[in-house]
Amino acid sequence: MTEGGYVGVTASSMIMTNKKLKEELESTFKDIQVIVPEDTRLNITAREEDALTILKFLKDRGFNFLTLISCVDWIKENEFELVYIITSYLQKNDEYTQREKLQIILKTRISRTIPESKTVTPIFSNAEVYERELHELFGIKFEGNQRLIPLFLEREYKIPPFRKDFDTREYVKEVFDKIPFV
Amino acid sequence: MRELELYFGPQHLGMVGNFSITLKVEGDRILEAQANPGYLHRGFEKLMEYRTWIQNFPMVCRINVIEPDSMEMVYAMAVEKLAGIEVPERANYIRTIVLELSRVSSHLFGLWAYANMLGFDTVAQWAMYHRDLILDLFEELTGGRVYHIYIWPGGVRRDFPEGFKDKIVNTLHSIGSCIPDYDNTFFNNRLFYERAKGIGKITQKEAKELGATGQVLRATGEKFDIRKVEPYAVYDKVDFEIPTREDGDAYSRIWVIRDEMIESVHMIFKLLDAMPEGSVYNKVPNPFKWKIPKGEAYVRVESSRGELGLYMVSNGEDKPYRVHFRTPSYTHGLVILEKLLKNASIADVGNIMISLYVIAPEIDR
Amino acid sequence: MDKGSIFSPFKSIKYLFKKPKTLRYPFEPKEPAKRYRGLHLNDWDKCTGCGNCADICPNEAITMKEIPEIKPKPEEGMKNERPRVDYGRCCFCGLCVDICPPGSLRLSRDYLHIHFKTDTFNLLAKDEKLDKEHFLPAKEYSILKASLSHRKEDNEGLVSDLKYSLFEPERVPMPQVKPERRRLSFIEQVIGYNREQAEREASRCLECKLCEEACPAHLKISDYIKAISENKPDESLKKIFEDNPIPSICGRVCMKYCEDACSLSIRGEAVAVRWLKRFVADSIKDYKTTLELKIAKPTGKKIAVIGAGPGGLSVSYFLALKGHKVTVFDSLSGGGGMMRIGPPLYRLPIEAIDKDINHIASLGVEFKFNTTVGKDILFEDILKEYEGVYLGIGTTISRSTKVKNADRCILALPFLEENKIGKGVKVGKEIIVIGGGNVAMDVAREALRLQQIQYPGEKTVTKMVSLEDWEIMPATKEEIEDTKAEGIQFNPNWGPKEIKVEDGKIKGLLCVKVKSVFDEQGRFRPTFYEEKEMLLEGDMVIEAIGQGSDFSFIPKPFFEKLEFTERRKVKVDENGQTSIPKLFAGGDIVNLNLDAVTAIADAKVAAEGIDKILLSNLR
Repeated sequence: MTEGGYVGVTASSMIMTNKKLKEELESTFKDIQVIVPEDTRLNITAREEDALTILKFLKDRGFNFLTLISCVDWIKENEFELVYIITSYLQKNDEYTQREKLQIILKTRISRTIPESKTVTPIFSNAEVYERELHELFGIKFEGNQRLIPLFLEREYKIPPFRKDFDTREYVKEVFDKIPFV
Repeated sequence: MRELELYFGPQHLGMVGNFSITLKVEGDRILEAQANPGYLHRGFEKLMEYRTWIQNFPMVCRINVIEPDSMEMVYAMAVEKLAGIEVPERANYIRTIVLELSRVSSHLFGLWAYANMLGFDTVAQWAMYHRDLILDLFEELTGGRVYHIYIWPGGVRRDFPEGFKDKIVNTLHSIGSCIPDYDNTFFNNRLFYERAKGIGKITQKEAKELGATGQVLRATGEKFDIRKVEPYAVYDKVDFEIPTREDGDAYSRIWVIRDEMIESVHMIFKLLDAMPEGSVYNKVPNPFKWKIPKGEAYVRVESSRGELGLYMVSNGEDKPYRVHFRTPSYTHGLVILEKLLKNASIADVGNIMISLYVIAPEIDR
Repeated sequence: MDKGSIFSPFKSIKYLFKKPKTLRYPFEPKEPAKRYRGLHLNDWDKCTGCGNCADICPNEAITMKEIPEIKPKPEEGMKNERPRVDYGRCCFCGLCVDICPPGSLRLSRDYLHIHFKTDTFNLLAKDEKLDKEHFLPAKEYSILKASLSHRKEDNEGLVSDLKYSLFEPERVPMPQVKPERRRLSFIEQVIGYNREQAEREASRCLECKLCEEACPAHLKISDYIKAISENKPDESLKKIFEDNPIPSICGRVCMKYCEDACSLSIRGEAVAVRWLKRFVADSIKDYKTTLELKIAKPTGKKIAVIGAGPGGLSVSYFLALKGHKVTVFDSLSGGGGMMRIGPPLYRLPIEAIDKDINHIASLGVEFKFNTTVGKDILFEDILKEYEGVYLGIGTTISRSTKVKNADRCILALPFLEENKIGKGVKVGKEIIVIGGGNVAMDVAREALRLQQIQYPGEKTVTKMVSLEDWEIMPATKEEIEDTKAEGIQFNPNWGPKEIKVEDGKIKGLLCVKVKSVFDEQGRFRPTFYEEKEMLLEGDMVIEAIGQGSDFSFIPKPFFEKLEFTERRKVKVDENGQTSIPKLFAGGDIVNLNLDAVTAIADAKVAAEGIDKILLSNLR
């Protein structure tokens, strides 16, 4: 029926629980913080340099679905937090196991003054468009992403509009109040 | 042959929604495509940071006009998770019924778009009419036809009105009785087969690499469906099948949509029978004083197009600190569309795009 | 897979012969559903102008517009503002409906607005009750003209439902001692909220601030309740002390005008403002360290306060903060005035009073108790010696019915005082209490407790007689309910005629049926059916029909100069100053409202006035 397509999944990794994964992650990487807030979630906090290798590590263990890349602007700490949400497609086609429920949230912090990070497109090709969005809305540069062209916006903004110091109301006042009322 | 740049949309016959594609063509063949979203970018995620938890609830539905309920659901789920709010059992049943009804209505809309694009105007009109019947149900239940503003944190906004169960059953029966006509006129029509078979074909491996979900993935044979993978509401209490097709082309995707609609209708009948009595809403705190403890949540539901997720961060304040929607059309409409359009012919652009079931407002947010 | 056939579509050719499904608009308009969310309706009689709809609106489509024709009634919680909806912004979500406390705001099933002008999008929401001109019966209504000013009547859509409202209509129940138990002793009836309960109750407040306008002293109720909901009782206490320095007393006996005005009280129960204040006062052990009050530099000015009641206490607090030297004179052995002797122990224990007084004393206010002005110290001496004098003497004399043998009765105030700070009164087995006010209820409930204590296990009765019928009984509903629950008999609508005395012993009270209590002008002038008599048996009669003030300590030359109003109250100006220079007054002798919070409001005015006049003398 199906052609499989399990990227780098071994039989042993299929039964791996999140606890085991946590141990494995902690022993493999330095300066990593792994918490299991609930059975189906795994939160990893890591250094930005390690993000790429951790993602590779996870993909090799069958977490082959990059759901979302997001960014949180922690303006008080002067940091951006990049959030990668990774999960996996089905291991066997007509079986739903605990494994697919597991979602991994990988968080890394980068400086807000020089917002730069490395692209993860070599590992997850659909990351390209997420990185484009974050580049546009937060002004984060992803080194290695060749296509950081505008996505949604048509105007130029002094401050990327999704940053916390961009005041929507002020902007609206500034831009649209000038347009005469019809 | 000379290379040309062609602007496809946002005003174009084969285009549904506010979306455009820039095509690099050589004769009839597309060398490269670039999807241009943003015509409907309203910055909802930013706007939500300015509004309180309850004020955001009427807003989320506007992200996806065609299927507002799963947007409301995912927002309600995220808030409930962050704030630790329980939902009454009956409310969960009602939510599931509403979500499945909206899946049917959304699929009918998708069928309208696809049939219309292919020139099957009769079927398109039927689909629109039948969608309208479901909108009538929604109007009776929620007070709004398009924006239901119904599933809110803590449950649902009002209980079923009197005799509503029978109305659902009658409406679904009258739609169901037309399935043979749909099949005759559209699905078993040789013209549809010829026009859709092999168009926009994607393998399962490629689909997974590009982050596909929903029909796009299921049309390649993978039974990936959040309702089964991580059941929410009462999907773990009701028995249903995940229809799939093997070929990964437009033809398979539209058949998956058809089968899903029928499966949803069966599911609604089962849910209506199993629905318990009781309250449908656990009151949330006073909206003027409601603060949600610090935390983050990622929740996901299976919308009619695929995985709809919401990453939400609370800073302990009365407003969300960050909201980010993971919409299915985002990957389908930007990543997969660009890939599938490569080497396709201009005549197939609309066909491929609509068969991917892309809804532009969902991409732009 | 089956590729299908090109002939299969012909099977649907039957549809050619079917009737089209399209509606023939506008000849066949579609009737919107019952819950439709269309244009707004607002019942102006019910709307309080609280502005919750404007606050919840996600799009700021609602603004509150002042309507000059409406008379604001702060004591009923009614503002003269009404919501105006901007349909250029409205998204028809109906959150305004679900937050509306009186349920006056609704959505209709009208959804059409056809107009040539683009600036007609604003609507001062009304309904057919008020606006017959624009709301038309079905016959006159035409869908072709449908607009904000051409609407159908009786076309209600989404309406408010308490089950799904965004506010909580029900109060967190206050833990109380059950009537069967509390009637046996003077144990404090209200146990008080714990922290969790207080937080939960405080979080019900919608912050519409109708209460603040109703409160005579204009306490910042919304702010201090918000602080409680955020688990910051310290902040809350600071807010309370800005306007009220006796929260422990007020938190127990306040007349709570705020709760009558609370917008939640319309369809549910008001926020328990009084109990929340009590929670704050009780949960903070030491006011002084929490408040961190800043006392101004001593000015060297000396001020005398006559009467240590709520007004006297407040005025001394506010003046002490301003750096003046305040001396308080009171004939009782402790502070509180009427609060000390009036409210029974089960409502206001002495410790609760002393907590507030000790705090005020700690700010440098000197209290001279057991000092009766006019006897121990002369009024004219005080007036000479001090730069300002505040008169807060209240009403200290119980009135008598003056019926035959009324001299055999006991008066309310001495009775209450003896029970609260004295040894307690020896009561009879069958007590009759005359009166229908709050004091009468207190007297009856105390009498009942004394009977239980003095005659344990024996059959005893306490009866009440009042001129007024149930509906117009001056006591609060809550108080009447509590009294009833303890098993006290009520005899409403009867007037006392004579105390029956036989062999020097009281046999009972002869009553006559009341015809009416008030005359046409609304003045108190009871009339009776003389022939309808009833003898209430009893061995003890207590009169609790009202109190008056005692001005006998003021020497005649001064008293003659003191001006009174038509309703026999002391006349004061906007500074609280009487017709005698340097003499200020407030509280029950000035006000028609005989309660503590009004006295506090007066005290605040007088304190400002005294300060202003003293400072102007300084220059």
